[in-house]
Amino acid sequence: MHLPSANVLIQVALVGLLTGGVYALMAAGLTLIFGVMRVINIAHGAFLVFSAYITYWLFTNYSLDPFLSVIVTVPLLFIIGIVIQHFMLSGVRNEPGLTVLLTFSLAIALEGIMGTLWQSTGRSIRTWYTSEVWQVNIGELTIRLPVVRIAGFMAAIIALVLLYLVLTRSDLGRAIRATIQNKDAAQLVGVNIAWVQALTFGIGLATVAAGGALFSLIWTFNAGSHEEWISKMLSVIVLGGMGSLPGAFIAALIMGLTESVAAVAMTSYISPIVFYLILFLTLIFRPQGLMGTVIREG
Amino acid sequence: MTPLLHTENLVRRFGGITAVNDCSIIVEEGSITGLIGPNGSGKTTLFNLITSIYKPDSGNVYLRQKKITQVPSHQLCHQGLSRTFQITRLFWDLSVLENMIVPVRQVGFRSLLGPGMHRYEEVRALDLLERVGLEHLKNQPARKLSFGQQKLLEFAAILMSEPDLVLLDEPAGGVNPTMIRFIMDLIRSLNQEGVTFLVVEHNMSVVMELCDHILVLDQGQKIAEGPPHIIQSDPIVLEAYLGD
Amino acid sequence: MGRIIRWWPLPVLILLLIYPWVYREPYFHVLGFNVLLFATMATSWNIMGGYTGYKSLGHSAFFGLGAYLVAIAANQLGWNPLWSSPILALVVTLVAFGLGWIMVRTSGSAFVIATIAMLLIFRLLALNLRGITNGAPGLSQPLPPWTPEFSRMPFYYYMLIWLIIAVATSAYIRHSRFGLGLLAMHDDEGKAEMVGVHTTLYKVLAFGVSAYFVGLGGGVWSYFSTHISPVFAFDIIVGVEMILMTMLGGLGTVWGPVLGAFIFIPASDLILFQFGSTTIHLAILGGLMIFILLFLPRGILPTISHWLEERRTPRTAHTGARSMAEMQDKRSAAVTSEIKPAGDYDPVIINNKQETL
Repeated sequence: MHLPSANVLIQVALVGLLTGGVYALMAAGLTLIFGVMRVINIAHGAFLVFSAYITYWLFTNYSLDPFLSVIVTVPLLFIIGIVIQHFMLSGVRNEPGLTVLLTFSLAIALEGIMGTLWQSTGRSIRTWYTSEVWQVNIGELTIRLPVVRIAGFMAAIIALVLLYLVLTRSDLGRAIRATIQNKDAAQLVGVNIAWVQALTFGIGLATVAAGGALFSLIWTFNAGSHEEWISKMLSVIVLGGMGSLPGAFIAALIMGLTESVAAVAMTSYISPIVFYLILFLTLIFRPQGLMGTVIREG
Repeated sequence: MTPLLHTENLVRRFGGITAVNDCSIIVEEGSITGLIGPNGSGKTTLFNLITSIYKPDSGNVYLRQKKITQVPSHQLCHQGLSRTFQITRLFWDLSVLENMIVPVRQVGFRSLLGPGMHRYEEVRALDLLERVGLEHLKNQPARKLSFGQQKLLEFAAILMSEPDLVLLDEPAGGVNPTMIRFIMDLIRSLNQEGVTFLVVEHNMSVVMELCDHILVLDQGQKIAEGPPHIIQSDPIVLEAYLGD
Repeated sequence: MGRIIRWWPLPVLILLLIYPWVYREPYFHVLGFNVLLFATMATSWNIMGGYTGYKSLGHSAFFGLGAYLVAIAANQLGWNPLWSSPILALVVTLVAFGLGWIMVRTSGSAFVIATIAMLLIFRLLALNLRGITNGAPGLSQPLPPWTPEFSRMPFYYYMLIWLIIAVATSAYIRHSRFGLGLLAMHDDEGKAEMVGVHTTLYKVLAFGVSAYFVGLGGGVWSYFSTHISPVFAFDIIVGVEMILMTMLGGLGTVWGPVLGAFIFIPASDLILFQFGSTTIHLAILGGLMIFILLFLPRGILPTISHWLEERRTPRTAHTGARSMAEMQDKRSAAVTSEIKPAGDYDPVIINNKQETL
């Protein structure tokens, strides 16, 4: 393990934090879905890739900038989410192993469909700004941050703030939070649980649509990428505490930071192993993560 | 008479609420001891602490003077302690007979790989089932039994491990008077055979008639104890139940 | 009639024995081997996933581990995989005991995710510990010594033997005291703990045993394929297919996983052949899983048996603790049993008959 210079370290740390913001947006929906429905949506990664593909398709065929294509992808995935929850998940006994298998199968099916439609070529979106770098000099330090990551971070923050406002200020948000805390009690005070669950799943996928737009600008992907990304997202929400939005945010930032720093400080192959090890150990020894409620399941 | 079970200064908090607050009780061997108190006084929590479902924040539990705090539940069963649950718990997809066979007092590696049921186990199970009047249902899945039958099955099953101390959580709850009588007779006859009971019960007439010693809990603490006739007229007890 | 049906494995076994001679092309031998391989592994998985209900999604970790152990032993030590596989599978089992001991503290979804993480960690280790595993390009091992025209047949028969052993093990467990405990735990783990079942030990044991035949399968597969690589050895889809087959045939039954494999593998091959693309295959696989999970969650065998038995008296889990009196009714033999009063039992074997159910 060799330590790079302070300059490189700071730069890398900042980039890591910026990346973490995007991770947070991607994982927000996942933790929300778990909080409301106790469902671990393994297909979340596949939907991330799916929205990235749609974004890519809109970009290559209609020159629609990814930041704008959310106008299309977010409502689209919102509706898809409601449909999936209503027709597929609601009818199934909420036995945890069962829902995991179901969403996993969905992920596989999606991977197959996407792979058939778009083959295995790695895709990524290159706009006029994707190679731009913003440079700032502070004293002796020269910090160079990719514009895309900065923009991505800011977009993620805006989206998360919007989500937060919806959850705290709207009636739906209140219903969602009530359901997270105590489903039965919420039902007794008149919350329509079926609707809340369907809408939450829709919101969950909608956020991942937004995440997908950013994702397509920063990383290269193909149909098989979802596996790597769902593992990352699971690590984030497990670490942050499943069901906790603030927890996911903090965990995402930590993940982004450590991943980035570890990549330069250690040999690069350690970092994915680190992700999974953190996931594994957290699940075993501290399943409630940083801020979530203890998973008390059968 | 020696204490079969005793707790020492048990404390258990849930967030801001202290469910069990410095609770020290004694259950004498050979007795039928009642545990009563208003709702929320900590009775079931106490049971859960004794049977290692919850970990106490402080304090200890002793079985025959030996500390059993936090000993894994299955080992408690091996040491002769059994319990029923307020909401009946059975193995719903297994048959009545299979439910009877699962409880074990002693299992070594060799018997693990042995047959699902030995002859002597079946005989004992059928005998117990006959005693509670369920023998004719031995091959029915547990979920098909009526509520009262399920309660009896739960009771009969835990007897299979030949416990020395049985914790009963509301045995008369939700059950018709004839069945209550039946359960009380069963408890009494088992007690005569040497089984000690600690019974949580809300039905006062059952408690007063059945128990030879009563412990009263309020807000997680023992506020009174004694034989039924004393407890019945104890002003502290009455106040706990009726409030201010 | 029921008596005759009880002996159905025998004609099936004969059919399986002569199959490679009737169908001579290598393709059929490969197909047959795959069916037997997956039937064995699904049966193994079922011991944990079906009996206890803890569904491991990462079981291919053990498949890959077995494959690599056998390949490395073949290269470094000259061990022939046919006899090293069963032995090295024991190593896999030990690893499973260790990992299982850590993982069974969790429950439900946490366990499933932990098994996925476990698989991914194994794969990454295989990719990166290049000194041992040769990394991404993978490992080759020496070809089998027998003549090319018989190239696949020995594998077929070898796997058949292990399938029989695996099924026998599964059946034995299911009808033993251990199996009764597993099924009780599946029903209500807390209650089982409370009546004296050492749940942690049971889970770890089940997990370890469930890894054995999967590890063994991996070892045989590595010999069969000659060349293995991390991506294929630690492929999550292999584990998923084990689950799918088990659920298709009947989760928690002895023969369900076998039936599932016999249906699924040929069907899967047909689909691959028909469409020629692995991505369509993947899409169909996912869709099939969804279909089974939604509409046939119990699987074929339990659905049939449930249907048959609703017409007679409803039965239950058919553990070893089935009433002997009930079985003896059928033989209309009079059993004089001495029922002793409660509290006075010694393990007297009545009528000198100790029946193992």
